[in-house]
Amino acid sequence: MSIECLRILQPIPLHRHNSHSFSFFTSPNVFLRRPKSSISRLMFSDDHSKWAPLLHSVRPATSENQSSVEVGTDAFEWALQDFYALRKDVETSLQRVDEIRASAGLEKLEADFSDLENKSADSLLWDDPSNAQKILLALTEVKDKLKQLSEFKSQVEEAETIVKLTEELDSIDSGLLEEASEIIKYLNKSLDKFELTQLLSGPYDKEGAVITISAGAGGTDAQDWADMLLRMYFRWGEKQKYKTKIVEKSMGEEAGIKSATIELEGNFAYGYISGEKGTHRIVRQSPFNSKGLRQTSFAGVEVMPLLPEESLNVEIPEEDLEISTSRAGGKGGQNVNKIESAVRMLHIPTGVTVRCTEERSQLANRIKALSRLKAKLLVIAEEQRASEIKQIRGDTVKAEWGQQIRNYVFHPYKLVKDVRTSFETSDIASVMDGELDLFIKAYLKHKYTMSMETE
Amino acid sequence: MGFLGEKDMFCCLPICSFRFTCSRSRGQIRFCSSSRPLSITTTSAPLFLRPLSHNTTSSHLQTFHAWAKSLAFSSNHPDPPHLIRELTWLLQDATSDPHTSFLQLGTTHPIWRVPLRVELKELYVLWKARVEERRPLQYIVGCEHWRDLILVVRDGVLIPRPETEMMVDFVKEIDGSESGLWADLGTGSGAIAVAIGKMLGEDGKVFAVDLSQTAVEVAEINVERYGLKDKVEVRHGSWFEPLEDVVGKLTGVVSNPPYIPSKHIPGLQVEVGKHEPQLALDGGEDGLHHLLHLCEGCLSVLKSGGFFGFETNGDEHSELIAGLMKTRWSGQFRDVKVIADFAGIKRFVTGFKM
Repeated sequence: MSIECLRILQPIPLHRHNSHSFSFFTSPNVFLRRPKSSISRLMFSDDHSKWAPLLHSVRPATSENQSSVEVGTDAFEWALQDFYALRKDVETSLQRVDEIRASAGLEKLEADFSDLENKSADSLLWDDPSNAQKILLALTEVKDKLKQLSEFKSQVEEAETIVKLTEELDSIDSGLLEEASEIIKYLNKSLDKFELTQLLSGPYDKEGAVITISAGAGGTDAQDWADMLLRMYFRWGEKQKYKTKIVEKSMGEEAGIKSATIELEGNFAYGYISGEKGTHRIVRQSPFNSKGLRQTSFAGVEVMPLLPEESLNVEIPEEDLEISTSRAGGKGGQNVNKIESAVRMLHIPTGVTVRCTEERSQLANRIKALSRLKAKLLVIAEEQRASEIKQIRGDTVKAEWGQQIRNYVFHPYKLVKDVRTSFETSDIASVMDGELDLFIKAYLKHKYTMSMETE
Repeated sequence: MGFLGEKDMFCCLPICSFRFTCSRSRGQIRFCSSSRPLSITTTSAPLFLRPLSHNTTSSHLQTFHAWAKSLAFSSNHPDPPHLIRELTWLLQDATSDPHTSFLQLGTTHPIWRVPLRVELKELYVLWKARVEERRPLQYIVGCEHWRDLILVVRDGVLIPRPETEMMVDFVKEIDGSESGLWADLGTGSGAIAVAIGKMLGEDGKVFAVDLSQTAVEVAEINVERYGLKDKVEVRHGSWFEPLEDVVGKLTGVVSNPPYIPSKHIPGLQVEVGKHEPQLALDGGEDGLHHLLHLCEGCLSVLKSGGFFGFETNGDEHSELIAGLMKTRWSGQFRDVKVIADFAGIKRFVTGFKM
């Protein structure tokens, strides 16, 4: 970074500072674009003179020498806004870097690092080659992470220095500011990437996903609600450019659906959407309520990774499985011709059940049910590692009161609010149209922070 | 098949024309050698095997779907949601799209071309037959998905039931099953025989026996479709009669014989009672007529230690047969077991000859 550059800048004379110090507030452009916090900082700044050149420069053109002033005003106005925006960006990035460094567990990482370094320096290290390899691998990983984290810090500090220098020197060097702005842009990209790898580091996060939606308490209204959610997730999947398909749909009697299953093929589908698992609650004036009263209904959403068959290397002993069909009642066999090949599979030790109805033969439903069951057990095993048993047992989503993860209020006001993250929006139409990214991101961050706290 | 009156309107339909084709061929076949070609002509072919020579738009299909749905819900069919699932399967077979995604596309891409295996107007007629005549979907589309097979079925042949899928699992579990001689008695569409045939090794063989000429024809189609002509031999005749050359040599005998008591036939589900062949359902006064014959007969065709597996009308029938094997035929069978199907009904009796 060139300090020289700054020095050779000619400070702009402070003439007419007093009489025009507030004139820039009359410039609507600047006023609207500037963040609020800096207004107050400017207004109550101890040292007004420091800002004088900037203030002066945006003063509306006076009658004298109009054309040249206008040119100058444009250039400076751009620079001023640019500077404000940049300063805001730097502040945000500073905060973000601090947060990331804190949530990445910097102290623990450093402790791990010295521990691993000691181990790797051990003369007996290579007596156990596989262990040695593991240690060295972990060491590189921790080292890389630390390096990245310190790079974030130095980068944001570099940008901060430029901002401070600009403030102190009462002048603007667009080349320098450009540099700072580049740094911030690049830094934010790296932070996004870092955050994503941190947030989506679960073993199945990079896989596709299977979303199962089932209507809960609330009768026909709930079945309609389940159908609306089906559309929402389908639209989301399409927007993400995932290969999205509805593989099973069981219609409701009057309207909507009893249940449906969507498969999403594509990178990180499971990582993003897995947080949608839970009960979703709607409040509205139900079209299915004859009195037009406000009604609350629920739908359950379950999410499983879409794992390739060969990766499901879970062996389930046959005696651990209880398979049944929903062909209850009646004599069955030759007496009945109903292509009711639906299979329900219960994993006795865990109590986990899956149902598969979409295939046309019983065997095909059994095979599919088994692979879903395996995927589910894998997820549970993973959750078991990370959380408490009671949460695992709560795996079957209860679509009823007090269990919801998100509320969708259509009436008397419009609001979608996530109970876990408190993230909310009043743009319910966009959400129902599959705009879920902000909710998903908020949850991923929330989950990450939680996991850091428990560690 | 005494239901032609209302069905005259179907004469123009391909799905119907095979009925006439096969009744004509039934006359000839008696004098034909078994080398007669088994090609399925386009008009009699199951829906999913026909060429995609028609087409329509996604919005037309969506209209059809909405109509079909409302017909299902306004009919007096006992289980409309089940009909809706069948509707999806009909559309799967009539198009080349297993996910019927044109239904979701109908709104956004209304003029998207969807290739069809029948004309759109025929779909309306077919669905009307399904809902109003209660004609089984399997006869309408001409196939049944069973285990990992897609079996051709048509009028005059019992539609294989999901329960029966388990029979193949029993055979699979028997040591040396892949190299033995097997018999599937009353094979119908050939379901069990084809499934066993697929598991057999070099020196294994299945005899698929049926009294019905239609069944023999359909079973041969299915055997050929799965390329099992050297593994499965379809034989025409009653129970053990066509097996005289292998008496005492069989590794196992399996059968899903007619087992519904005669008096229950009139009260059966319409799809079954009105449309499926009585020959494959009626088990005589108490429903045990053929089962008892099978128990008796398998003692002579099975080799020592040979396996048998029979499907029954459930619970008391299974218990009764298992009981008889310990009393009337005491000392001639061993390890007789009663096994429940996935709905919990004691559906099968299995065991071994001493």
